[in-house]
Amino acid sequence: MIAPFSHVLALAAVVFTLGAYCAVARRNLIMMVLGVEIMINAACIALVGASLRWGSLEGQSFVLFILAVAATEVSVGLAIIVYAFRRAGSFDPDAYNSLK
Amino acid sequence: MTLYGFLFYIVAAIIIGSTAMAVTRRNLVHVVIYLVLSFFGTAMLFYLLGAPMLAVLEVIIYAGAIMVLFLFVIMMIRVDSLEEVIPPFRQRLPAMLLGGLYLGCALLMARGTPGAGASLPLLTASPKELALYVFGEHWFTIELVSLLLLAALMGVLNLGRMKADEAGKEKSA
Amino acid sequence: MTAFWSDHATLPAIVLATFAPFAAFFAIMLFTRGRPRLSARLSIGAISVSLACALYLPCVHWRMEQPLEYTAQWIASGSFSIPFGFLVDPLSLLMLTIVAAISFLVQMYSLGYMAGDPGFSRYYAFMSLFAWAMMSLTVASTVLQLFIFWELVGLSSYLLIGFWFEKFSATQAGKKAFVMTRVGDASFYIGLLLVLLHMGNLDILELGGPKATESMSPGFITLAALLVFGGIVGKSAQFPLLTWLPDAMEGPTPVSALLHSATMVAAGVYLFARLFPFFSLSSTAMTVILAVGTISMLLASTMAMVSRDIKRVWAYSTISQLGLMIMALAAGGWFAGVFHLTTHAGFKALLFLCSGVFLHTYETGDIFELSARGGRNLKIPALTLAVGAAALSGLPPFSGYFSKGAVMGALSGLTNPIWALAALVGVLLTAYYSFRVVFVIFFPGSGVAESSVHSHAAGEGHEGGHAETYRAMAWPLLVLAGVTLILGFFEAPLRGFLFGGATAPEAHESVYALMVHYAAIGLGLLGVAAAWVEFGWSRAKRVGLVERWSPALANLFAERWFLDHFYRAFMESVIDKGFASLAHWNDRRVIDGTIDGAGRRTIDAGRRTALWHLGAIQRRLLTTFAVVAFLALYFFL
Repeated sequence: MIAPFSHVLALAAVVFTLGAYCAVARRNLIMMVLGVEIMINAACIALVGASLRWGSLEGQSFVLFILAVAATEVSVGLAIIVYAFRRAGSFDPDAYNSLK
Repeated sequence: MTLYGFLFYIVAAIIIGSTAMAVTRRNLVHVVIYLVLSFFGTAMLFYLLGAPMLAVLEVIIYAGAIMVLFLFVIMMIRVDSLEEVIPPFRQRLPAMLLGGLYLGCALLMARGTPGAGASLPLLTASPKELALYVFGEHWFTIELVSLLLLAALMGVLNLGRMKADEAGKEKSA
Repeated sequence: MTAFWSDHATLPAIVLATFAPFAAFFAIMLFTRGRPRLSARLSIGAISVSLACALYLPCVHWRMEQPLEYTAQWIASGSFSIPFGFLVDPLSLLMLTIVAAISFLVQMYSLGYMAGDPGFSRYYAFMSLFAWAMMSLTVASTVLQLFIFWELVGLSSYLLIGFWFEKFSATQAGKKAFVMTRVGDASFYIGLLLVLLHMGNLDILELGGPKATESMSPGFITLAALLVFGGIVGKSAQFPLLTWLPDAMEGPTPVSALLHSATMVAAGVYLFARLFPFFSLSSTAMTVILAVGTISMLLASTMAMVSRDIKRVWAYSTISQLGLMIMALAAGGWFAGVFHLTTHAGFKALLFLCSGVFLHTYETGDIFELSARGGRNLKIPALTLAVGAAALSGLPPFSGYFSKGAVMGALSGLTNPIWALAALVGVLLTAYYSFRVVFVIFFPGSGVAESSVHSHAAGEGHEGGHAETYRAMAWPLLVLAGVTLILGFFEAPLRGFLFGGATAPEAHESVYALMVHYAAIGLGLLGVAAAWVEFGWSRAKRVGLVERWSPALANLFAERWFLDHFYRAFMESVIDKGFASLAHWNDRRVIDGTIDGAGRRTIDAGRRTALWHLGAIQRRLLTTFAVVAFLALYFFL
């Protein structure tokens, strides 16, 4: 017996909130992408916990796909960031307002 | 509380602590190091929750590949351009309030989930079982993911190639 | 099997025999490429070790009753497992000995033949690679393991055919050999997978046992056997994949002697003998195989009749003799096929090595030119050439006589006389074309006698300068000629060895079989006589029967029945114009079009939605989170 399921969910919730805070409040593109990573990680924790709770491998296989998607997202995201930085010379998300 | 339960709370504390540190650091290298720690903690948690395969993948992909990628990008770029404008507290307030709301909401949901109180059993899904399940039930998704990775690869290559001429055009304009 | 555990030396001997050349290959490639003499010593040392082991093993296991198998687990996945190991039984030991012995002789011979070649070290490295792969092939315990080494043998064949890669025709020939054998190997591999799917196991000893019939329906067995036979067709250059072998003669002559006559191409026949119980499960497959062997034998014999290049003649004759072995095996004459394989390895290697001496001395392969330039003055090669040709024609008392006799015996056991008849025609043609070469070289026509004396002197001078290399090349010839002379008399002991302690099934001597037997001798002599009348005799016209009779037919033979033209036309019309252009169209229109279209649509959509965008990312993110939070509150609480 490890711990109640709700505690795992609570842990995931805390980590997710931290990630969301990071993505929203930090004024740096790299930190935003990192925040997204933290949120994804929190989701993974919840899924693995649920997988154990319900005795089904669905959650674990989902995490597997999330890992792949996260890797994709990071590589493309970072490439876009570097590209954008070369163009605008800034990591501040508010510097990207040419569409306004 | 069993030994495993004890371990769980220690690992949870490590994860939350290192993530919180990561979110608040200004030096990006420190951020990445703290996150690596956090992901190692997550890997331990996965192991504890009976997912050894995912634990290994977490270390390899998250702590290994993804974080190193971040480090590369951080190293590639001039340090002074990483200086972050720290917004005044007044401006951070909405984010914090909303974060509190979010957390409260999520915790409520965690309590309200069916079977939330049940204690987790000690079970382990061996890599073989996981592999049989994934390749048996989700083989098509695997194909889709491989396609996605290919698409990402091509996209990144294309972005890398566009860099020189596009940036030059920008300067001359 | 357990009874033999007391014999501790067998396994180390096999490991040593197979891995010594491999070690030599690595050592040469890594360390001694710049030092040719050392490379040659390494390689020959390794093959000597192999030969010693290979000779030791049959002595120890002369009276073996049970095959020995040493295996270890290699791949295990779910319900099937693939062991990796060594199978020691009389057949594999016999083949191991043949390979080691011929490899050893050929490598010694190459000391003279390849002397001074810039790729000397590379040559010996490839030879060692081949020796390793071939010997491992013979002692493989599962068909999958055999297949791996089968491919490695194909690789070393490719490397050695294209050894003189500065010669365009050599690289082309190497590629052709590689691709054509690959066609067969693909079929072999599919056959293997079929068997694996049904039996879950590819153990050679179990294949063909009762387990095969239990787990596979007769139709599947026929299909699998024919697919596996596809690999044999490719490797042993049988019809319709036979045209690569004559082109493979672009490689150095010792290579042709070792790979393309004695051992590698015989690997196909060896596989057939190895899986003989499995093939015998399907009589349909056996009949098809018999037909393929017969067609190859006859086609190749006709091609050999008109070829002027000495190596090509032996190449065609290799195809035809391999066809004969396959016929014997398909007719149920297991011993006959294996015995012919053994003797053929000896005398065909001998023939090639003789040709190599001629080629090396006069630098031409054209038999008429060789004759005009005094080829008969090279005493040892000329003499041993005659011995080899006699063995090839099946004249007593040379080894070929005994093995062909056995083959004829096997074929005469069939109810349908057409196969034996075809084999008899083959015997006649074989005797004719092999003695055509011998007589052309021995008896230069009167018209060219004067010039022959002249160039003979030049030849002597050439040879005198290379007396040492000539000696290095001569003694393997004498050894092989000796083997060719005496091997035939060892038929009975060999039969005893191959059938183990069990009593060998005696060939039943019916009147019909005896008739076939004498007919074979008679036709062999007739072929020799025909060759004598046309080429040997002092008043001979020195023009082949076929050329005089019908130039069109001669052209057909010389162009290899237009098989190559057919392949080229097939490639151009079906592959290039059909599949390739279809795939090209699909790639350009469907795939590129879809992707370009998707890209353009995305750009369009982006342009349109961009108009709604304000730019502040994080504010949007914040809004999104807020909305999600309130939605969560609404739905869940």
